[in-house]
Amino acid sequence: MTATSAQRRPLAQGLARAGTLARRPVVLLAAGTLLVLVILVVAPLLGLVSTTLMAGNRDAWGDVFTSRMSANLLWRPLGNSLLMGAATAVLSTLIGGFLAWVVVMTRIPGRGFIAVLATIPFALPSFALALAWDSIFRNDLIGGSAGILGNLGLMVPDWIAWGPVPVALTLTAHYFSLSFMLIAAALAAVNGDLMEAAEMTGASRVAVARDIALPVVAPAVMSGALLAFAEGVSNFVSPALLGLPVRFHTLSTRLYGAISTGDVSRGYVLSLVLIVVAAMVMLTATRVTGGRRSFETITGKGGRRRSVPLGPWAWPIAGLAWAVVVATTIVPAVVLVASSLTRRTNDFASGLTLHYWIGGSDPAMAQGQRGILANPQILQATWNTVLLGVCVALGAGFLGLLISYVITRSRGPKPLLGAMSLISYVPFLIPGIAFGAAFIAQFGAPIGPLPSLYGTFAILVLAGIAATIPFAVRSSTAALSQVSRDVEESAVMAGAGLMLRLRSIIAPLAARGLLTGGVLVFVQMVRDLSLVVLLATPAMPVLAVLTYQYSSENFTQLANAVTVIIAVISVSATLLSRRAEGAAQPWNEKA
Amino acid sequence: MTHTTDRGTGVPITLTDLRKDFGASTGTAAVDGISLQVPPGAFLVLLGPSGCGKTTTLRMLAGLENPTGGEIRFGERAVARGDGTVNVESAGRGVGMVFQSYALWPHKTVQGNIEWPLTVAKWSRQERRRRVREVLGLLGIEELAGRYPGEISGGQQQRVAIARTIASQPEVLLFDEPLSNLDAKLRVDTRAELMRIHRATGATSVYVTHDQVEAMTMATHVALMKDGRIEQFGTPVELLAAPRTAFTATFIGAPPANILEAQVAGARLTVAGRDVGKAPAGLPAGTVHLMYRSSGPRLVAEPVERCVPAIFVDQVPMAERWVIGVEIAGGTRVSITQDVPTRHVPGDSVQVQLPPAPETCFDLDGERIPAPSQSAREFEQQQEPV
Repeated sequence: MTATSAQRRPLAQGLARAGTLARRPVVLLAAGTLLVLVILVVAPLLGLVSTTLMAGNRDAWGDVFTSRMSANLLWRPLGNSLLMGAATAVLSTLIGGFLAWVVVMTRIPGRGFIAVLATIPFALPSFALALAWDSIFRNDLIGGSAGILGNLGLMVPDWIAWGPVPVALTLTAHYFSLSFMLIAAALAAVNGDLMEAAEMTGASRVAVARDIALPVVAPAVMSGALLAFAEGVSNFVSPALLGLPVRFHTLSTRLYGAISTGDVSRGYVLSLVLIVVAAMVMLTATRVTGGRRSFETITGKGGRRRSVPLGPWAWPIAGLAWAVVVATTIVPAVVLVASSLTRRTNDFASGLTLHYWIGGSDPAMAQGQRGILANPQILQATWNTVLLGVCVALGAGFLGLLISYVITRSRGPKPLLGAMSLISYVPFLIPGIAFGAAFIAQFGAPIGPLPSLYGTFAILVLAGIAATIPFAVRSSTAALSQVSRDVEESAVMAGAGLMLRLRSIIAPLAARGLLTGGVLVFVQMVRDLSLVVLLATPAMPVLAVLTYQYSSENFTQLANAVTVIIAVISVSATLLSRRAEGAAQPWNEKA
Repeated sequence: MTHTTDRGTGVPITLTDLRKDFGASTGTAAVDGISLQVPPGAFLVLLGPSGCGKTTTLRMLAGLENPTGGEIRFGERAVARGDGTVNVESAGRGVGMVFQSYALWPHKTVQGNIEWPLTVAKWSRQERRRRVREVLGLLGIEELAGRYPGEISGGQQQRVAIARTIASQPEVLLFDEPLSNLDAKLRVDTRAELMRIHRATGATSVYVTHDQVEAMTMATHVALMKDGRIEQFGTPVELLAAPRTAFTATFIGAPPANILEAQVAGARLTVAGRDVGKAPAGLPAGTVHLMYRSSGPRLVAEPVERCVPAIFVDQVPMAERWVIGVEIAGGTRVSITQDVPTRHVPGDSVQVQLPPAPETCFDLDGERIPAPSQSAREFEQQQEPV
């Protein structure tokens, strides 16, 4: 009976089916989050492209690619970007690989501490290392005060103070952490049983290393190198601080220069070039790693460790490893703090002062700039920065949870889910500074009744959420995987609706992972410069941008002091989250 | 709403041509058109090997999957139709489910786990408290009320899961392999416990398992499933005594019945090239399958009539008898029950004498031949559940 009536009215049946589908809350949720993603990610990119295609802007393509300016505007910066990417990739892999080998495969003293220190540079703002370099090696080539070495009477050659060498080295000092984490994790997996099993077959040590260890570690080495390459290509702050004074330009500094001097359409074209270059590298990296992303850390220490006997080489190797990690963590930290205390820039002979921290306005020092803790603008910027980090963490965390829920849990329409996972991955491919440009292109002018968002706090938050969505989705997915399907379905059986389940079952159970993800996003926003450098305005300052401005105006002590504040905020957030992780799930502690 | 544990609250369940196709293309049916009906208060066991569609069927009853064809009725009420016109949400069906993993909420106490569904269903605080105390008492776990699931044993978690499920007094109780995570002894105890709960609640129960012992022990009705279809539906005794297919015969019973490939020629049967007796009337010439229960064949010292050579494989004690396992040509395993163990060691050549006639014959598709006799039908009718 049912069958015949259904055959008679196929249309009614189809409508009924579609109706039940559309009324499912999860479909509404999917459609809603997809819309938000489109507004945050797709619209800015389309805005970027369409702006360059508008009448009056189209010439920019010719200017960039085929005019007499092209060499200076595009090709040479592109070459420099690729050079920096390649140098960062090679050096990061060598240093990261060496440290990973030391930590996992040897028994040199202090391995555990090296392992901790080696992960720190990546958690610091990348301008911290550039500023520290500047404070030590700066010479008088471009005038202004010299660095610590210069003040001690040492002549620092130009190629060490400025240009490609210091840019590549400071980038390496930042990104070798990434290679270290990836390779150490892979080595830890290969160590122990796997190697013993190979040696039981009677294979020589060389054969074991070549046929067993290397193939297992190779993907980690490759992906670490490619990620370092992509970061090196698109990094803004190192070339801006250490390259610009000697006209060493990369794509990032060129597009920043173009946009900040009002040459917007050329800047947009350069952004698109940068996006394409970075996206190609990142896509390759993703393919090599089979979908694993850069922010994996070492977890678990499976199996028994074996060690390579080093003999007489033990101490030289230990010394080298220690030198590397100390030079990239402790030395920069000490330099930044110490130089913020020098009366005359980087000159310890001039005496120490707390003026740049707490002093009032004094025309004799830093052109009357107050100490940062006495400067209302800095306090405003600190408040903005923390609020920005919190808002972005909450926004990206909430959106990330919904997206990962829809992607992994719902059995919504396939095309919808596919679009969501693709779009939520796209920001991972886009350099921060290009993303900033895209946000100006899309939201910098009024859209219909909506006012321009340029210079508002809102545009910073929206850009932040858009840029960090891949991380938020990734960490939410990991957190959700801790909550078994059955546990949720038993709540379905109890009659709990989607929102009630998310609130009462999923969120509390995934809290630990969600919190970790939120802190990751918070720290990323607090220390980020490249995304916000185009979006923040003097009326809406954030700390990272102030650091950059102080530094380009040669207020070195102030720049270093602000950097120290940023580092303190990032590190305390990380430490607090570790404590809170324990407190978030009391039902686990009683066991 | 009256909240009592009086029995008699179950509903009849009717499945009509129920289907579930995963993916767009047909031919990937997890459930391929099944129909059955059980009376109120029945204990229906969906039995079958993994991948036979039993769990998918259960999830459709629960409202966790929507059927793509057919209909599910609880009493007079249709709760799901494959054409999408009716899909009552889980909460509106009056069903409760015990998950294989128990699926307790780890961040709620035992009390909280049992109470939360009642809160969602908008019971008054007073009613909730009373009911929680009641089911905690029924399961004998009052002292666990304040503990978290992570702090109690697997067997206790199982009881909490059952308490949570029956608290809202569902008319239909669903169990998804609830005993598979328990050790052997606890499994036997919990089986009895589940039957007690079933009687106490009077709810119609549907129970999924791949363990035929559980099915035989607990069920009033068994639906033996294979490849998304019902292979045979009936009482446990029916399935054991009168298997309609070779699959049923080999799935039910401990040890299961022996199925041997045989040739029919000139009204004689041959197994592995040896004559094993007269072919029953009605068998077509060619290859057939013969069913012998393990009590039929016996080990003999010398090749006599109806004998097949075999290799001794193993022996297992069972209920004070011994199950001898041998392998005949072609690798077919034959189980023989006898009162005493044998002295053979694995690998020894032995002789197996088959009884004068097989108990049942099946064709190559596994269907019984000739079709079930009148006496078998009468037997089946005698065993109809009350």
